Amino acid sequence: MERRSYTEIGVAAFIIVICAIFMFQAVRLPPGSFEPLGSGPVPIYTSAIIILCCVIVIVRSVTVLLRSSSLSREFKLEFSGESPVGAILMLGASVFYVGLLQLQILSFGIITSAFLTLLIWSMERFRRHKLLPAIITSVFFSFGAEYIFTNIFVVDLPT
Amino acid sequence: MEFGALFQAISQIFTPWPFFMMFIGTALGIVVGAIPGLTGAMLIALTLPLTFYMVPFNAIVLLVAMYVGAISGGLITATLMRMPGTPASVMTTFDGYPMARSGRPGRALGLGITASFVGGLVAWGVLFTVTKPLSVLATRFGPFEYFTLIMMAMVLIASVSEGSMVKGLISGLLGMLVSMPGVDPATGMPRLTFDWYLLNGGLQLLPVLIGTFAVSQIIKDSLRMGALPDRAEMSSKGMLMSIRDFIRHGVNLIRSSFIGTFVGILPGIGASIGSVIAYTVAKNVSSNPEKFGKGSEEGIIASEAANNATVGGALIPLIAMGIPGSVIDAILIGALTIHSIQPGPTLFLTNSDIVWAMIATALLANILMWLLMTSSVRYISNLIYLPRSFVLPVVMMFCVIGSYALNNTMFDVWVMLLFGVIGFLLERARIPLGPFVIGFVLAPLGEEKLRSGLMMTAGDISPIFTRPFPLAFTIMAVCLLIWPLFSEYRQRRK
Repeated sequence: MERRSYTEIGVAAFIIVICAIFMFQAVRLPPGSFEPLGSGPVPIYTSAIIILCCVIVIVRSVTVLLRSSSLSREFKLEFSGESPVGAILMLGASVFYVGLLQLQILSFGIITSAFLTLLIWSMERFRRHKLLPAIITSVFFSFGAEYIFTNIFVVDLPT
Repeated sequence: MEFGALFQAISQIFTPWPFFMMFIGTALGIVVGAIPGLTGAMLIALTLPLTFYMVPFNAIVLLVAMYVGAISGGLITATLMRMPGTPASVMTTFDGYPMARSGRPGRALGLGITASFVGGLVAWGVLFTVTKPLSVLATRFGPFEYFTLIMMAMVLIASVSEGSMVKGLISGLLGMLVSMPGVDPATGMPRLTFDWYLLNGGLQLLPVLIGTFAVSQIIKDSLRMGALPDRAEMSSKGMLMSIRDFIRHGVNLIRSSFIGTFVGILPGIGASIGSVIAYTVAKNVSSNPEKFGKGSEEGIIASEAANNATVGGALIPLIAMGIPGSVIDAILIGALTIHSIQPGPTLFLTNSDIVWAMIATALLANILMWLLMTSSVRYISNLIYLPRSFVLPVVMMFCVIGSYALNNTMFDVWVMLLFGVIGFLLERARIPLGPFVIGFVLAPLGEEKLRSGLMMTAGDISPIFTRPFPLAFTIMAVCLLIWPLFSEYRQRRK
């Protein structure tokens, strides 16, 4: 089975931070006045158990790393083989797209067509012969979705 | 047994709109199930916003039909490309692909499709007979019974989820924790909102679901944009099973279907584990175990009969108790809530038309699935080659629309993106996502039951240990927690 010790340590540490923030907030909640439990204990105990489980995961992963012959080799093994470019592109473009929708600069159809065209074309590595199919697909889906959602399903769209 | 109510629901489904919904749902489910990277959970989460303006009956027919179709569609890519369209079809790749490559793709697909159909039918029989009595029993449950049942379900989900139990627990509890921000229903005061008014309404199920299952999957698929593997040549020859085949494989079909149904009933376990168990049992009792993994007919039948049977099995705790049997059932619970229908044991009394719509659709969509797949699998298999670079951005657009449509607020869209990243990170760290969603759905109910129980007893928790059901559920939860530790200890000693 593929080892992911570094990722496990990172994600577990991230979860611990989230739980600690929730726990800190929950501790400040006032005790229940007319019911015995109150709002605080359930999130406090839930956070505490998650933190405990995350510590177990971290200890296990650190043990695995310490037993390995070379830490840098383990790191390379864990993060080689996949190119993050596609995922970064997808996530970055999506955040930018949602930001534009939030700003309400242009209509949904126009922003979405531009987003889809650029994203599809960039994922096709800007190959020239893919531009036209990308534009056709984008216009079809963005304006098609705008029409179907607003006129048939009567669902409001951003902008 | 209420045949009258069932026939009434069936006749209602055979009116134009519900039938159209069932047809579209089953067909879309099969297509999405067949495309690697797109899952049934993703499809149903994205379809949920479209159902806001439908009558609940039609909405439920559409979603349940998608559920049946999506589990079945996965076998097409599993057989032709050794690439399971859904995780439930992983075991089918072991024998389906070798058989397809050896020049019998029609036979491999035909066995899988018919086994799926039989698995669905057997599970439906259990669903039809068991659900009502179970819901009558569940109506006698008080708050402590419900609370301990939910805790047992959470421990069960964690203990059988892929990877370690600790990771399953992290996932389930994290799902519970993120469901807690918002106005506390018991006190009416904001809780864990960080004085941010947008969090007063809490995190909504739909953006969290779409983020966790759809966006995280899109990010994951974007990492691997390479070409799809070769596929076996498609041919429809040998698609239909003969009576001799039924006689030869009857025991395996029925046994695997019952295994799948039982696994489906257990909360949160899902179709993949059902097919693994059925496949392993079939191999262990087979007179030709050496053929497994090399194109064994028994292997295909065991895997597909079991994974489809989990659909009917998983609907049983959902309808009878409001406890989701799988991730998609958790989404269905969300769908019921969105349509102002309270899931739980009283569902039979308050919304019997919806219950019978679910039960009838599970049967009819299964029949439709068989007809659609046997007649058009050749064409569906061509859709597998849709380029991901075109599909993923379009799916992302639907994710944005789906999240926004719930409350017409961009906040939900940002929540979706955030949970997409969280879901992706959890999966990278091999923390399963199923318990997360089920924890998110079950936590409010569990907390409400615990707090109302404690209010009734003035803070006394002894009913958990003095009443039979809570005690039994607690003992089972403790055993489920201890068992993996105990078995690990025993293995180390060996």
